[in-house]
Amino acid sequence: MKNRILVLSTLLTTLSSAMVFAEVAVIVHPSNANALDAATVAKIYLGREKSFADGQSVVPMSLVETAPSSATFNDVVLKKSASQLKAYWSKLVFTGKGTPPKELATEEEMLKLVAGNPSLIGFVDASKVDASVKVAFKF
Amino acid sequence: MKLQYNPRQRWLIGSVLLTTLYLPTAVAEVKLNGFASIRGTSVSSDGGLAPYPGYEEGELSFKTESLFAIQASADLSEGLSATVQLFGEGANDFEVDARWAYFSYQLNDTHRLSAGRFANPIFHQSEYEKVGYAHNFSRLPKAVYIGLDFSTIEGIAVDSQFNIGDYSLQTKVLYGGWSGEVFSAVTNNTVSFGLDNIMSANATLAGDWWQLFGGIFAAEIDGAVIDSTTVFPLAAGGIALATANGATAAQVADFRNRIGWNEKDAFYWFSGFAVDYSNWLVDFEYVSYEVKESTDVLNNSWYLALGHRFDNVVVTVHTEDYAQDPDFGYLNGVTHPVLQATGRGITSAFGQREFDGVGLSVRYDFHPSAAFKADYFKGTDTRATVDDYQLISFGVDLVF
Repeated sequence: MKNRILVLSTLLTTLSSAMVFAEVAVIVHPSNANALDAATVAKIYLGREKSFADGQSVVPMSLVETAPSSATFNDVVLKKSASQLKAYWSKLVFTGKGTPPKELATEEEMLKLVAGNPSLIGFVDASKVDASVKVAFKF
Repeated sequence: MKLQYNPRQRWLIGSVLLTTLYLPTAVAEVKLNGFASIRGTSVSSDGGLAPYPGYEEGELSFKTESLFAIQASADLSEGLSATVQLFGEGANDFEVDARWAYFSYQLNDTHRLSAGRFANPIFHQSEYEKVGYAHNFSRLPKAVYIGLDFSTIEGIAVDSQFNIGDYSLQTKVLYGGWSGEVFSAVTNNTVSFGLDNIMSANATLAGDWWQLFGGIFAAEIDGAVIDSTTVFPLAAGGIALATANGATAAQVADFRNRIGWNEKDAFYWFSGFAVDYSNWLVDFEYVSYEVKESTDVLNNSWYLALGHRFDNVVVTVHTEDYAQDPDFGYLNGVTHPVLQATGRGITSAFGQREFDGVGLSVRYDFHPSAAFKADYFKGTDTRATVDDYQLISFGVDLVF
C-alpha cells in the first residue's frame, strides 16, 4: 500500500512538474525599453495592439502548436486553448480583419529573429534564453 | 443563387485574382487559407415542404450544408494587401464564386481601408457566417441568419480598432451596392433584386469575457422586378375589383406606389451580447428589418444560446424566434375599401412566414484544425406547408 502511494505521488509530482514548471519567457530585442505585462502581450498576440508603448510597431511571432511553450503561452497569457485560438483567428482571417502571428518551427529561430529586429516580440522556453534577447517577463 | 456580375465587377475580381495569385514571390508573400464543412443534414416537416430554401425535405443530404473556400492573400508591403476568396457550396451545386475580392490598405495602427467585393456585415456574425469552425453551431440560428442573399457586396469599408483602457472597440463603416436574386416566401422562388447606396455602421465593445455589439444597415431598394413579378401580380385581382367598383385611375396609381418596393428604403439593425466566462457561454442577438412604407413586413427576430465548454467539447442549447409584425400604416390615406383590403392581404402574405424552435448542438475539437459537430433542432413554421419540423445534422468543420 505504501509503495502504491509512493508510486502514485511520484507520478503526480512528475506530471505536475511537467505541466507547471515549463517556465516560458516573453522576449524582445535588447534595445526594447517598454514595460510589458501579460495583458498587453495578450492584446499584441490577439491583433488588438499594433505598437509598443513607445510607438515602435510590434510584430508578434509564435511557435508551432506542437511546441510545449506554445500551449503554456496560449493557456496562461492568451487564456485560450489551441482550438479556441484558431476559431478566434478564423473570424479575423476570413473577414480580412487580421492575420495570426507567424509560427516559427524552433525556439532557436525565435531567438535569432527577435535578437535581430527591435519590432519583434516572441516567447521561448525560459531555459533557452541567452544574452542576445531581453526577457520582458516569465511565467 | 448565381450572382450576375457586371463588367465592372468582373474587372475587379480579375484584377484582384491576378494580383493575388500571380505576383512574383520576391514582391509579395501570398498566404493561402481555407475552410470547409462536410455535413449530413436530414430535414423533415409535417407539411412536407422544407423549412428553408435549398434544403430537401425527407432525406439525408450531404450537399445542402457542405461547402469549401480557399482564400489567397497577398501582402504587398507598406500596409497594402490583396485578397481573393473562392467559395463553393453544395446548396449551389459547388459552383465556385469569387466571394471576396478586395484590396486593403492599413492607414495606421487604428484604421484599415478596404475596397472591392467583400462580406456585408448585415448582422453581428454575418461576415464569418459560412466559417463553421469559427462558431459552435452546426449552422448559426436561422431565425437571425436566415440566409439573406446580399451577404456579399461591392463597395468601400473602413475597419477600426480602438483600445479604451482594458476594453477594445471595433468599428466598421461601409458604403456599397448589391444586385442579385432573393428568395420570396410568397412565391417560394427567387427573384431579381438590388440594393443601392448601402450604408452600414457597426461596433463591438469587448472586455476579457464579454462583448456588446450593435449595428445598422440602410439601403435603397432596386425592386422593379420584385414589384412586377410578385407584388403587382398579387394586387392585380384586387385592383381589377376596385376599378370595377369605382376606384379612379389616380387612386390605383397611388395604391401601386404605396405597395411597391422599388426605390423604397430598407433598414436593418442588430444588437446583442456574448459572454465567455468560466467556460460558460451565452450569446444573444436581436435583429429588426424591413422595407419602409411598403407591403414588406417588419421582421423582429432573435436567438439566445447557453453553452458550456468541457475541455475540447462544447455543448450548446439555444432557442430562436423569427417573427414578423405587419404594419398597415403605409395604407393610411387609401380610402377605397377594396384597395385597402388588397394592401392588407398582400402585407399579410409577406408576413405569413414565422418560425421558432429549440436546438441542441455539440462541438468536439478532435483535431487542431477540425471540429466534429452534431445537432438537433425542433421548430414550428406558421406556413401550413411546413408546420412542425426537425433537423438533424452531423459533420466536420475544417480550417486551414
